[in-house]
Amino acid sequence: MDLLEPTRQAFALLFGGDPELWQIIWLSLWVSVAAIALVAAPSIALGFLLAKKRFPGQRAAVVLVQALLSFPTVVIGLVIYLLLSRRGPLGSFDLLFTPWAIMVGYMVIAFPILVVFTIAAVQGADPRVYETARCLGAGRFAASLTTLREVRFGILAAVVNGFGRAISEVGCAIMVGGNIAGLTRNIPTAIALETTKGDFAQGIALGFVLMVVALGVNVLLALLQGQGGLR
Amino acid sequence: MSAPLLALRGVRKVFGTRVLFEIDRLSVDEGGAYVLVGPNGSGKTSLMRILAGLDREAGGGMDFRGAPAAFTSYPERLRRSIVYVHQHPYLFHTSLRHNLEYGLRCRGVPAAERARRVDEAIAWAGLEPRRATPPAKLSGGEKQRAALARARALEPELLLLDEPTSNLDRDGRAQTLALLAQLRDERRTVIVACHDQEIIGLAGFTRLRLDDGRIALQSG
Ligand SMILES: Nc1ncnc2c1ncn2[C@@H]1O[C@H](COP(=O)(O)OP(=O)(O)OP(=O)(O)O)[C@@H](O)[C@H]1O
Ligand SMILES: [Mg+2]
Repeated sequence: MDLLEPTRQAFALLFGGDPELWQIIWLSLWVSVAAIALVAAPSIALGFLLAKKRFPGQRAAVVLVQALLSFPTVVIGLVIYLLLSRRGPLGSFDLLFTPWAIMVGYMVIAFPILVVFTIAAVQGADPRVYETARCLGAGRFAASLTTLREVRFGILAAVVNGFGRAISEVGCAIMVGGNIAGLTRNIPTAIALETTKGDFAQGIALGFVLMVVALGVNVLLALLQGQGGLR
Repeated sequence: MSAPLLALRGVRKVFGTRVLFEIDRLSVDEGGAYVLVGPNGSGKTSLMRILAGLDREAGGGMDFRGAPAAFTSYPERLRRSIVYVHQHPYLFHTSLRHNLEYGLRCRGVPAAERARRVDEAIAWAGLEPRRATPPAKLSGGEKQRAALARARALEPELLLLDEPTSNLDRDGRAQTLALLAQLRDERRTVIVACHDQEIIGLAGFTRLRLDDGRIALQSG
């Protein structure tokens, strides 16, 4: 198969501002960003509590979140599908096959990543951070925020990884989004489903974008870490 | 005689079946400077952590300015009065200024007043040339001085310093020693845990000896 010609076409689409292509890219970006923005704060808070507090069932909760990490996204998609489908318990909201359904899926997928990364970051924090904050007069909440700020690069890594997982996952987005052109077709579903129909140029262009995004956020993370790389 | 700043009552620390110490009574006078001495493992750090409210498992309690408090339910307001500085102090990975004003912010000190006190703290610790240095890049002695200044700027009623000269070279120790003498002259109530003979020998410091589970006031 000739790869050169579709690649040339791919770049023509990208830089020619092909509306269909850019619409797909835009959908992927905003849905992922919105999902992470919504789920980040509660996940980080939960991660902090699971790392710091000792309470009955805490170990079990951590194991559960870790298990969620390795759940196939297509199964997560299936569960959300059943919940959102017309006859499901949340059917009345009419969310299935809309970007909102994908966003919910992304939130569920990013959640364990954010929690597990936060737990690791907080457990890696020097115990003196919290104590010092408390000794200087900070309340429990303020001292917790100070601890999170001290491990900010670990938290940032959590967010970047959650985002990267969401924007690139395909199983759940197909299940609950349905790859509807102009509505729910995003980068991974377009690559997975349209390329097999022979649309190589679009697949290559989208794959390229996805890699640039992945590279971009990680370079950004590294730059930030470098700037504050005091430890 | 005025009432003591602090009166310990039945302070008891156990690890499993091992009783680390049991202190029936001990008074700390306002404006007094104390050194807390005792062999390794006698419990100096443990005692200071209890006083600072970092150990909720200790038995007993204390009267602070006559107000009773149990260590198992350490009152939040006491955190504003008692400040403990770790043996190896932790400076937040922000800026020197932010570190120095952290506790002032917690106390709701207004920005202008904060700025004034931070400048004073920097000068007191002799850290002017290090203003822009990231705290993690400071030398051991500079970190120690920064932590002392950070605690002192809060004007605590009781300052607990855990081995402030350990791991410092001669210059670092000399500078920290000078700061300790200043705290004494300023009539701050301070307890310094240490093995450092030079600190122990500082004039005007009362010696508390913790050994074999008991504490005793020692003269000369
Ligand atoms: N969590 C713990 N479990 C069991 N024993 C502990 C624990 N923490 C401290 N200890 C023991 O308590 C004793 C007192 O420790 P502490 O750090 O208070 O001594 P110290 O007087 O400060 O010693 P040093 O002069 O070496 O600083 C030590 O024997 C230590 O091993
Ligand atoms: Mg000690």
